[in-house]
Amino acid sequence: MKPFREQNYYELLEILPDASPLEIRRAYKRVFELYQDESIVSYSFFSKEEREEILSLLEKAYLALIDLESRVQYDRRLIELGLMDRDGQYSNKMKEPIPIYDFKKVHFDVFEPDRRLDDLKERVSQNAIIQGILAQDILTGADLHKIRTELDIPLEEIADSTKVQIGMLRAIEEDNLENFPPAVYLKGFLKSYARYLQIDESVVVNGFIKRIGEGK
Amino acid sequence: MPNIWSIGGGKGGSGKSFITGNLGILLAKGGYKTLLVDLDLGAANLHTIIGLPLPEKSISDFLNKKVGTLQETVEPTPVPNLYLISGAMNNLDIANLAHEQKLKIIRNIPKLPYDYILLDLGAGTSFNTIDFFMISALGIFVTTPEPTSIENIYRLIRSVYFRKIRQVLSSHNFRTLAEEAQERDARATVSNPDILLYIMKELDPEKGEILENELRTFNFKLALNQLRKQDNPNIGALICKIIQRHLALKMHFLGNISFDERVHNAVCKKMPFLDLYPYTQTTLDLRTCHKNLLTIDEAEPILQNAVD
Repeated sequence: MKPFREQNYYELLEILPDASPLEIRRAYKRVFELYQDESIVSYSFFSKEEREEILSLLEKAYLALIDLESRVQYDRRLIELGLMDRDGQYSNKMKEPIPIYDFKKVHFDVFEPDRRLDDLKERVSQNAIIQGILAQDILTGADLHKIRTELDIPLEEIADSTKVQIGMLRAIEEDNLENFPPAVYLKGFLKSYARYLQIDESVVVNGFIKRIGEGK
Repeated sequence: MPNIWSIGGGKGGSGKSFITGNLGILLAKGGYKTLLVDLDLGAANLHTIIGLPLPEKSISDFLNKKVGTLQETVEPTPVPNLYLISGAMNNLDIANLAHEQKLKIIRNIPKLPYDYILLDLGAGTSFNTIDFFMISALGIFVTTPEPTSIENIYRLIRSVYFRKIRQVLSSHNFRTLAEEAQERDARATVSNPDILLYIMKELDPEKGEILENELRTFNFKLALNQLRKQDNPNIGALICKIIQRHLALKMHFLGNISFDERVHNAVCKKMPFLDLYPYTQTTLDLRTCHKNLLTIDEAEPILQNAVD
């Protein structure tokens, strides 16, 4: 170890070269308490002259480092002498706040369907078969099934996204009238189904309800 | 070779014999064959601390050639695995040991067949005490958190340290180099060992390294005894820090040992404190010190490598 008097200001205060002003102040308070005249630990270890020398050294170190301008100069000298790493210097940069929650994930969810929806809309409008079906006055479950297979979307995906039970969706596509829910619910399910496939909700609901009415 | 620990403290009444006795009991209970040597010649009373009635044999039997070897003065104690060479029942002039007799003790202690040997030293910094202390490079210093005691600790450490430097300087013919160093920097005397060492290393790196290595063999511990509730519990660690920083010595803190009124009772009853009051803070502290003594000792080489 280097003798006390040969140590640089950072070593004297026992801090790292990138210490913040707050850390410097704390370090100075700590060493001052250890070396001051009243200290039970050090008063009998040093002579009066030695203590005065140490205290003045520590004060010099503190004053040089606590003032940003003189600190930059001192750092430059240490770097020139090769005693300090340029990257180890203190920079008064605010630290980036660390997010507690991962908000990005939520954004991702919101933006992803958008792209999918635009793409889907285009495919619906380009597809002649789908447009043909939608032009009909009456729509059956088989028609809906056909639209869905044209778009190549599995039923599970719709059930997962719309939260409509897959059995119910299957019943609609299979025209299984016995398992249909009351008309109010059925309309809601149809709307969700149509919205997910990006086809006109009102066309689907009206066409389908009309078809049920005929079936009865 | 046994592990030898010198226990010193400068000031009288700081608890050297108390700590020696109780650490010895803990080592013995841990299964180590342990020997306590009462080297507080002229004021020996380690036997009372460990609950041994007045011993019949003592170290002066060996010095007077009543017995042939130091081993013959060893007394068993009530604690299994624990043995004692007492300094009681000595001649009245034992405190003023002749040089020849002192050397006889110093030469023979390391030859004794034990796992651990604890040397209980007297107060003060007389040559006898310092030379006995230097039987081993491993030392435990005992102090109380009072200025008087701390002052004496520094005196003792400096005395041991300076004596070692002088020994190395004269045995290696470093005198001229030391004088040269002092010419270059007036402060580079034996009383500022860190500066002396630094300048000697600059003048002659090879010789400076020899001195540094010799001083590095010292392995000191500090126990802070009789810590009362109102005392600053950091004093011990700070003392170690000052010594490490300004004397470039290895100094580790073993721990605080709480003050307890009942230590007085244990001494009066002539019973070991550990056995009489096993469930007290002070006993707990002694156990912590014992644990730290063993673990720090073993951890040393690993730490050394990590730093290098």
